Amino acid sequence: MKLDKSIVFLISAFVISGLATTIENRLNPYYFQILIYIGIYIILASSLNIINGYAGQFSLGHAGFMAIGAYTSAVITSALHVSRGSVFSFPAFAIALLFGGIVASLFGLIVGIPSLRLKGDYLAITTLGFGEIIRVIVQNLDFLGAARGFTGIPKLTNSFWVFSTVALVIFVIYNLVNSTYGKAFLAVRDDEVAAEAVGISSTRVKVVAFVTGAFFAGIAGGLYAHFVTYINPMQFSFIKSFEIVVMVIIGGMGSLLGVILSATLLTILPEALRGVAQYRMVIYSLLLVIIMITRPQGLFVKRRSIKKNAAPQTELS
Amino acid sequence: MSLLNVDNCTKNFGGLAAVSDLCMEVGTHDLLGLIGPNGAGKTTVFNMITGVHHPTGGRIVFDGIGLVGRKAHEIARLGIARTFQNIRLFPSLTVYETVQVAFNRNVRYGFSHAISRLGSFHEDEAAVRNNIMEILEFFDLTEVRDEQATSLPYGLQRRVEIVRALATRPKLLLLDEPAAGMNPSEKVSLMNLIKLVREKYDIAILLIEHDMKVVMGICERLIVLDYGVKIAEGTPREIQNHPKVIEAYLGEQVQ
Repeated sequence: MKLDKSIVFLISAFVISGLATTIENRLNPYYFQILIYIGIYIILASSLNIINGYAGQFSLGHAGFMAIGAYTSAVITSALHVSRGSVFSFPAFAIALLFGGIVASLFGLIVGIPSLRLKGDYLAITTLGFGEIIRVIVQNLDFLGAARGFTGIPKLTNSFWVFSTVALVIFVIYNLVNSTYGKAFLAVRDDEVAAEAVGISSTRVKVVAFVTGAFFAGIAGGLYAHFVTYINPMQFSFIKSFEIVVMVIIGGMGSLLGVILSATLLTILPEALRGVAQYRMVIYSLLLVIIMITRPQGLFVKRRSIKKNAAPQTELS
Repeated sequence: MSLLNVDNCTKNFGGLAAVSDLCMEVGTHDLLGLIGPNGAGKTTVFNMITGVHHPTGGRIVFDGIGLVGRKAHEIARLGIARTFQNIRLFPSLTVYETVQVAFNRNVRYGFSHAISRLGSFHEDEAAVRNNIMEILEFFDLTEVRDEQATSLPYGLQRRVEIVRALATRPKLLLLDEPAAGMNPSEKVSLMNLIKLVREKYDIAILLIEHDMKVVMGICERLIVLDYGVKIAEGTPREIQNHPKVIEAYLGEQVQ
């Protein structure tokens, strides 16, 4: 059986990130933490990119999917009494993450289907509402810790899990966009009416985008929960959704490489600015404004978009 | 042998009757022109056939299948393709990718194999690639295949749009004012293009057009609409001298 190059890439990434876990103890814990966050945000931003950048649906509730994945996986590892050192932890974590992703994608379906009639601003507000609804529901569920939060989550996240998932997201997006099947997404994003006229069901495309994006956001949530070991609803508010949206826009909607770079940049930046403490948020925000004025199509995009509401292209989009 | 049968179709937008009781038949090899002054309801007819609008009344039957109530993409899959009055291409796609989108329905694999590249993926993609190259070659678009489709000159954009429609292997092709915005030499190219399409594909073509040279030059039969009502039907020669048609176009030149 001939293996596609992309699968070779994926397996290599699994192996390399697995090997990386053996040396991660030697790394300065602060840098290691930033590295993990970079990985998690790449997953979050790329998964949002599937919805926003490739299918063209404006979603402002991505943190909601992250929250679902975080809480679902935490509940599972808690129920299975998984602890950090045990041999059992590997398959258990895999199951927990997978379930987190699946439950999140189910909500992606629930959000996706009714939202499909909505366009632009209306869809954005609906997804924003969804994100908040999830947060509020969790806040009121006692068995999830409500506003006090969910504590005692085993610290199972390491470079293998994070970077294997990063590789998986890249693999999925790249293969999707570079297939005839995936071109339908770009077509729907560019001109829904024209896409329908050549036999593409825009409804189906949007649902698939939402479900896929939600799935990976859910896994990112699980990875996050099992790194910070304590989660509460306020971590998954609209502000989090907004941070992820910013990463996608700065990176360039529909640009795989661009979003990876911007997620990395925007994760490092607040940390790098810690030295200027009280001016940190000012500088960060100022930078965003400047970038949007000078390069609205995204920092890392090569080709300019033809229409102002069309997504630009890079060699990897 | 009628391929498309529009039976007493009406479309009301609020109080306005855009199309009233239209009856129209298109045979499997017809080249039919739909003409009439601006606002006569011609594009509305197209939109009803392609499922963009639902008729307020009447039936539309295509190849024995009722179209009313079906979604636009379903109707496209049944074998009706169209181009748009204001060219609607995909701004971020190249010419190659634009045609590739139209071949979307030819792939047998689904989401999981699009990602894993197992199963029939490579075979299907190779087949699509061949189809794309073949059709681009035939319509002389090979040189521009990696150009952004919307960056091409207007005449070429229209050609790409027509090729995209043909890539879906339709039985009926609807062209909505294909000559709009073209200079005389582009119009001649267009007419030759349509004739070429007829020769190669032997499909039915329904054409909306204002340019009478184009209409008289290629259409075998004409239907004339005015204020949403069919006022005449016949060969170009018959229509040219039809009193009602001349009256509807009063003030415009009819050759």
